[in-house]
Amino acid sequence: MSATMSPAVPKPDHVADAAVYDFDMFADPAYVADPHKRILDLVKNAPPVFWTPRNGGHWMIMSHEANFAAARDIETFSSNFIPKERLAAMQAQMPRHLPMPLPINVDPPDHTKYRAPLQKVFSPKTINGLKDSIRELAGQLIDKIKADGKCDFMTSVAEPLPVVVFLKMLGLPLERMEEYREIVSQHLSDPTPNPIDSIKKLWRIVDSIKDTLEERRVNPQDDIISMLWKTEIDGQPMTMADMENYSVVLFIAGLDTVMNGIGHGVRYLATDLPLQDRLRQNPELVGEASEEMLRRFTFTVPPRIIGKDAVFNGLEMKKGERAMLFLPAADLDAKAFANPDTYNLDRENKTHIAFNAGVHRCLGSHLARVELQVCYEEMLARLPRFRLDPANPPTFHCGHVVGVSSLHLVWDT
Amino acid sequence: MKIRIEKASCAGNARCAAVSEELFPLNEDGYIAVDKVDVPEGKEQLARRGARACPERIIFIEEE
Repeated sequence: MSATMSPAVPKPDHVADAAVYDFDMFADPAYVADPHKRILDLVKNAPPVFWTPRNGGHWMIMSHEANFAAARDIETFSSNFIPKERLAAMQAQMPRHLPMPLPINVDPPDHTKYRAPLQKVFSPKTINGLKDSIRELAGQLIDKIKADGKCDFMTSVAEPLPVVVFLKMLGLPLERMEEYREIVSQHLSDPTPNPIDSIKKLWRIVDSIKDTLEERRVNPQDDIISMLWKTEIDGQPMTMADMENYSVVLFIAGLDTVMNGIGHGVRYLATDLPLQDRLRQNPELVGEASEEMLRRFTFTVPPRIIGKDAVFNGLEMKKGERAMLFLPAADLDAKAFANPDTYNLDRENKTHIAFNAGVHRCLGSHLARVELQVCYEEMLARLPRFRLDPANPPTFHCGHVVGVSSLHLVWDT
Repeated sequence: MKIRIEKASCAGNARCAAVSEELFPLNEDGYIAVDKVDVPEGKEQLARRGARACPERIIFIEEE
């Protein structure tokens, strides 16, 4: 995917020259060409925390320790992008409800209140109950391409698997999958923080699912939307506005994350045939292999807003500035993981923060883990050694999700 | 062996329980249900692995 670098903005006075490093997290050419290779280069050459003049100017939190600390320091690294009062004022001007991706963009205590109804649905116990149906679906998708000897893994497996699982969980019609995917990819690909455009995109999401929301309110089924209608928030019955908020967050988080994680993992597997052989002989190691995949190819970049003037890692940060928790770099930090560039299944410490740390830990992490592991298991069990297609190298896209756009594989039939 | 867990800081990663559900029981939401564990004899290695697996670093071995 070709991309144009955003213009560099002038450095604010309080940012020291030594803290400036030029990196465009959406369009840096080397990054978009091979993201984790460029991240290794950044980890070696960029400061552990730096300010980049690209995309309007923002902080980049790079080291493992700094990310760990920032994820916990929610007063400095706030998720409350729009203060409540401003939100209420904005809402008053709007012709309709302004959906907010709760609980992602609020801090405790509101975060706790809005996250509570979702916890049980995404708990390890509930998710484990879905494992067999996820395996069946993965098996079907892989069997469909087996005789071809080649595929674009993203469109034939990585994309449909998590999307179908998620739409089923939510209770959304599967035949509209393409429409939903298109809305989400558009939502995530825009680097310019233009509030009006962002709001319009959120409304588009709501418009695409509102009929299902209304239908489940009167005809509950065995799905998340129906379950949420029966839940209370802080003792108050669920309203359509609450449901719009949840839909927006689940939609965004569920449709464009796991597929990219699977893409990174399978891309690596395709380059390491001895690892494939070892895992085929010892399928019980796939769980561990999947954890090391998450560490080596961490792929999400959660944004934060500086909530108060602060000094962090010796650097002055001002309220209202933006910061990126650059988790892919944290999990490639040599201070946390020896020889971080090496994929090492036998590595003792694989305790990565691919799902972030602290209160905003990815709600869907248990689902993601099952999908990743099951997908690797079924790929290894159903296909012979698969390799990258030398004629069609993989392509990527970068942003808050560092994603795989295409991944052409070949194998003997 | 005794283990102390800073229960209030649990973020629900459930990595400890992935190592041993018996040593590290979770509540319905998938967060750690206990703040102390008396590790039965023979389970020390498992307990250490569970503690090390916590991305929040809130599981501490108090007594070997």
